[in-house]
Amino acid sequence: MVSLSKNDSATVELRGVVKRYHEILAVNQLDLTIQAGEIFGLLGPNGSGKSTTLKMLLGLVKPETGNVKVLGIDVLNDPVSVKQQVGYVPESPRLYEFLTGIEYLDFIGDIYGMQTDEKKNRINEYLKALQLEGREGDMITSYSDGMKQKIALISAFLHRPRLLVLDEPLNALDPRSARIVKDFLQELKIQGVTTIMSTHVLEIAQAVCDRIGIMYQGRLLALGNMKELRELSKLPDSGLEEIFLKLTGTGDTRAIVEELLK
Amino acid sequence: MNWKRVLSLMQVDRKSGRLIRGQKLTRYRENLFFAYWPYWVGLGIGLAVGLLAGFGYNLAFASDLSGAQEFQQAALSLFFSLPTLVLIYSLVFTMLQQIQKSGVKISSQAPYWLPVTWQEHTLASILASLLGFPLASVFFVTSAIMIFSFFAGLMIPALASSLAVFAAAFMASTTTEILRILQVRFIGAIYKSTGRAAVWVRFAGSLLFFVVFYILYFYVVSGSGALTFIQTIASAQSSAWFIPFVWLGLTLYSLTSGLFLQGIIFLIFSLLFIGALFGIAASLNKRFGLYEPPAITVSRGVYAPKTGFLGKLGFSLNEAAIIRKDLRAFTRRRELMTVFIVPIVIILVPIMQTLGQTQAMPPSITFFFAAMTFLFPSSVLAMSLGTFMMGEEGKAVWRIYSSPVSEKNLVRSKYFFVVLFALIILVVTGTFGTVIYRLSYRAIFIAFIEGIFLVFALGAVSLSNGIKGADFTETPRHRMIRQSTSLINLIECFLAGIAMLVPFVPYLLSSTISEFVPNLSIPSFLDPYVATVISGIVAFVFSTVFYRVSVGNSRKLLEKAEV
Repeated sequence: MVSLSKNDSATVELRGVVKRYHEILAVNQLDLTIQAGEIFGLLGPNGSGKSTTLKMLLGLVKPETGNVKVLGIDVLNDPVSVKQQVGYVPESPRLYEFLTGIEYLDFIGDIYGMQTDEKKNRINEYLKALQLEGREGDMITSYSDGMKQKIALISAFLHRPRLLVLDEPLNALDPRSARIVKDFLQELKIQGVTTIMSTHVLEIAQAVCDRIGIMYQGRLLALGNMKELRELSKLPDSGLEEIFLKLTGTGDTRAIVEELLK
Repeated sequence: MNWKRVLSLMQVDRKSGRLIRGQKLTRYRENLFFAYWPYWVGLGIGLAVGLLAGFGYNLAFASDLSGAQEFQQAALSLFFSLPTLVLIYSLVFTMLQQIQKSGVKISSQAPYWLPVTWQEHTLASILASLLGFPLASVFFVTSAIMIFSFFAGLMIPALASSLAVFAAAFMASTTTEILRILQVRFIGAIYKSTGRAAVWVRFAGSLLFFVVFYILYFYVVSGSGALTFIQTIASAQSSAWFIPFVWLGLTLYSLTSGLFLQGIIFLIFSLLFIGALFGIAASLNKRFGLYEPPAITVSRGVYAPKTGFLGKLGFSLNEAAIIRKDLRAFTRRRELMTVFIVPIVIILVPIMQTLGQTQAMPPSITFFFAAMTFLFPSSVLAMSLGTFMMGEEGKAVWRIYSSPVSEKNLVRSKYFFVVLFALIILVVTGTFGTVIYRLSYRAIFIAFIEGIFLVFALGAVSLSNGIKGADFTETPRHRMIRQSTSLINLIECFLAGIAMLVPFVPYLLSSTISEFVPNLSIPSFLDPYVATVISGIVAFVFSTVFYRVSVGNSRKLLEKAEV
């Protein structure tokens, strides 16, 4: 297990990052620093640039301008070293459906260069924890969405990365598994592992994340812990939902509902 | 039956082709001309062929009345056999479409929860199977005969034949629909009964099915086979009256021969048969349409050793993992299994053709067949595997992008897979060739060595293109490589193959001449061993250069991995 103190240098640094898809500006002048051992929540409405930002951390999307450093490494210069130390779950993880669950995880272990015994023990532990025991020999094509999500999560955790990049990690998970994943992220945090997650479930973000960044139209609209966000939004006693809706200017939902009911 | 719903469901299928064509995804506007281009092309070619045939007819028989009558009779017999002919072609092509769609679950699943009846679903599915090439060829046939009949004065038979051709295409597509549903249910039963052996049973079963299907396909569409086939249909249709699939042709024959009662009976029976087929398809869909074959359990708790045998060959852990993963992909994904079919068919078709021969073939022909058996299947496999190896990752390619896999890791593992399987095929087909054509030891040795050279060189060329033009589109079917790159690859491989085989040309020429002039002595510089060495040097250059190009293309792919 890699252990990092919180005083180590920043795990993630984005400076002046811009990404455009044709005429659509997905990420606009983004500056962000995330410290080691932090659980960071990236929130925002659909199309606000969250997934693009997360992909840029692994070099899956190249920024037009600006630079991205992960674990002190420039992602564009040495993407393989970055990927070796990162666990990633995309928004809709497409797995190799012709493999069985255990074959897939075995493949992941080998890709990250894990020793056989270590790989075997960890796979068994995770399969047991997330209640996939008994189905590991079935082809992934026969799995439910939740089971596929569990396999995707295990494949991100398996090699004990220093940074976890999770795009909607709790999608389709049953409550027990979601709870296990949340608790596990807290334990990893104590051990110095950094987590960056995007989610639309604001209760999860509020409960799990140390700091939250709210993106809107490619820009980082707000950044801070719950206390700082409350101050920024001038909503001292509110939850994250009210803060989010106010900051993103999408708060007038009642009027929309009434309009729909007409 | 709500026709609007049927039309909407069909449109979904038609529009799924947009992803394949790589259309602009944002602010998309459909261009109706390009959306229906296969049908315009079918109509256009049909029109041109009809006009040509018509003018030719006028020119040839302007003053020859008896000749014109004979020709009209021949044209009529073609019209009668068209429905059966189109039925068989449509059956082959609609089944081919179903094969291409296999492995893509999402495209066929979506609308089952919508308020659509099973009859509407079935009809939409049947009509959607005809979209594309099958329907375009029907347009071609009908427009050609309609235009020609205008010149030949056969408008009524041509009109009747055209209507029958559409009905035959529908009949074929309905039959394909029935076979598709039965096949899904049948496969489910096999999985259940074979347990953990299901993967291998499926692999062997699919190979067998594809081999039989493609041999039939090549027989039906290849030049001499197709002609024999049309002649057989025209002559044997009447004696096969008890087969419902030929009733449409018999309706036409009876009506134009003045046998009206018989014609009407066949017409009624044809319509009843089409109705019955549709009824069977709809009820099968109702019963098994939502059926999912049971999960295949392959293994429990089986872990591969660290790198195993591949490690001893010098492969790193992640390279070995990719090779093992690809091995499973090619033995479990039906759309990939077809890659292995073509080499098998290539060997079987000439063997089948030579089996019927009673006379001994000239040595040059034997040499041609032997060379084809030795060199062609493994070269074709190296080419197809090379072009598919990257694109077969499909949407799951994010796994490769986000993993610590370097460009060299990727190329090494993919190239090894290409070369390994092409060499296995070379050994298998070479053994067949050796047994069947009884070649000399020298010829066998040279053929094997040359086969190895071709595999390495063409594999490298194709892999470089396969990575450069990788297409990860999965709907409505796996694309794997862009069409333009595939074409470029074909040209490059052709040129590379020529460059490698050119050193043998002097020897081949002189040995062909020596068939006619037996006393001619072959100069030593034409010796095939020398040619093999020259060919080996050319192969080495191609393999090295294109391996490096592959690494470069792989770097570019990983750098702009925009998923």
